[in-house]
Amino acid sequence: MPRDASTDKPLVELVSVTKIYPPDIVALEDVSLRIYKGEIFFLTGMSGAGKTTLIKLICRLETPTRGLIEVAGRDLSQISPAGIQRMRQKIGIAYQDFRLLEKQTVLQNIAMAMEVTYASTKAIRARVDELLALLNLSDKRDKLTGELSRGEQQRVALARAAANGPSLLLADEPTGNLDPAATELVINLFRHLNEKNGSTIVVATHDKSIYAETEHRVMDLRNGHLSAHPNRTPRQIELFEA
Amino acid sequence: MHFLAYILRQTGKNLRQTWGTQVMTLLTVTLSVLLFAFFFLIYTNMLRASARLGDDLRLIVYLDQEIPEQKRPEIEKKIRDFGPVEKVVFVSRTEAFSRLSAQLDKEKDVLNDLGPDFLPPSIEVYPLKNLHDLTKISQFSDFLLTLPHAAKVQSGSDWLRRFGDFTSLLQVVVLLSGVLLIISMTFIISYTLRLTVVSRQGELEILRLLGATSAYIRLPLLLEGMLQGFLGSSLGLAALYLLYQWIASRFSGPGFLNLFDFAFFPPELTAAILLAGVVLCTGGSLFSIRRFIRI
Repeated sequence: MPRDASTDKPLVELVSVTKIYPPDIVALEDVSLRIYKGEIFFLTGMSGAGKTTLIKLICRLETPTRGLIEVAGRDLSQISPAGIQRMRQKIGIAYQDFRLLEKQTVLQNIAMAMEVTYASTKAIRARVDELLALLNLSDKRDKLTGELSRGEQQRVALARAAANGPSLLLADEPTGNLDPAATELVINLFRHLNEKNGSTIVVATHDKSIYAETEHRVMDLRNGHLSAHPNRTPRQIELFEA
Repeated sequence: MHFLAYILRQTGKNLRQTWGTQVMTLLTVTLSVLLFAFFFLIYTNMLRASARLGDDLRLIVYLDQEIPEQKRPEIEKKIRDFGPVEKVVFVSRTEAFSRLSAQLDKEKDVLNDLGPDFLPPSIEVYPLKNLHDLTKISQFSDFLLTLPHAAKVQSGSDWLRRFGDFTSLLQVVVLLSGVLLIISMTFIISYTLRLTVVSRQGELEILRLLGATSAYIRLPLLLEGMLQGFLGSSLGLAALYLLYQWIASRFSGPGFLNLFDFAFFPPELTAAILLAGVVLCTGGSLFSIRRFIRI
């Protein structure tokens, strides 16, 4: 789903955001960023560059030391805890460390995301089956996640993030443990969510294979500073300047 | 509908995950309620018996000779002037004999050799029903002893005093068991809830990340405490009822229980104890939820 920066309001906006962890570790410094509705946005950078911090700030798992963060036009610092929980139901987050319950099945892990929105059992079953088929995990539905490989666990985490058809999906290193075939499945899932649901996808990655040929925006985080990716395609330059 | 279904399912899940602790908690709540309700049942029965004994209270002035008919109004006036009295009955030797004879019923033959005037005449003084103060009864008793021809006054105040002391002691026991009930129920429920929270720590953290609302996480835990309170109180009261039935069947007939008209709690009081159990356990849950769950 192509986005139109001239008419669209940003879904996510960071204005001069700085995050300093105690005692004085600067994770992000004066970062300003706009991510538009319906956009697939790649955030690249080495380990420790601040990608995960930025993702956590967007879903308010962390609060900025300085600066403003708005999601869907709302200042996160002004939203009540209950409001944040409601917002998180609309944001899918795939964590780098998966955050799965290893003693529960794949179905139960994915269903959790929909259960918190009180979806019907029938709807949950149908959605889980659809996602597992998209990620080639249908035969693992009733397996305990602890018995799965790292790559399979990663895909389960992505399926859980995508379960509610989120308006914003934040994926932190979503292909870190995947082979090329599985990586392709994940990219297809992102495309599917973006095109069918209009989901905005933010992918934090250092896996070049998933953004090298993309026509979407790619930005690079280095030592807490955000800049355009150095090896951009002409289309990416056009998008960045827009 | 889905909301309720999720809350109930989540509660069931919590109970299953820590079933061993849940059973122990249920037993503790049951025993606490049983212990408290047992003493409370005895206490309420003692109070009722005490009230009835007070209602039946009469002071008997035994006389060394009969009061002539014409002097009786004067003596009755004296008595009524001293304190509030419901009625004053003069009992002659013959009347006393007739009463005893009627009481003995088929065994009245034992009186044959004694003659109709072996019993002393007496005055029965029935104070008003609100006269339960043992000091006042004692003062009344002392006054009655000053009446002409009075030989002895039997007031039953010593027995009443001992009964009152025992009831007071029981009151302390009921209070203590009540305090024990409050402490044990709130503490044990709070502790069990804490174990539930600890055992589901990982899951609760993920639920929080997925956007679970406060109600989604907290209500099942609150319901868990309520359920424990309801089941524990119900079982405790049911056990007490069975115990009561057993005692009633074993000790039926003339005896202690008949004397005191031993009865189980009325339905309203049973419901109140049940409700108190539920409220205490819910309070324990709330304490734990507020303390250990951050959303």
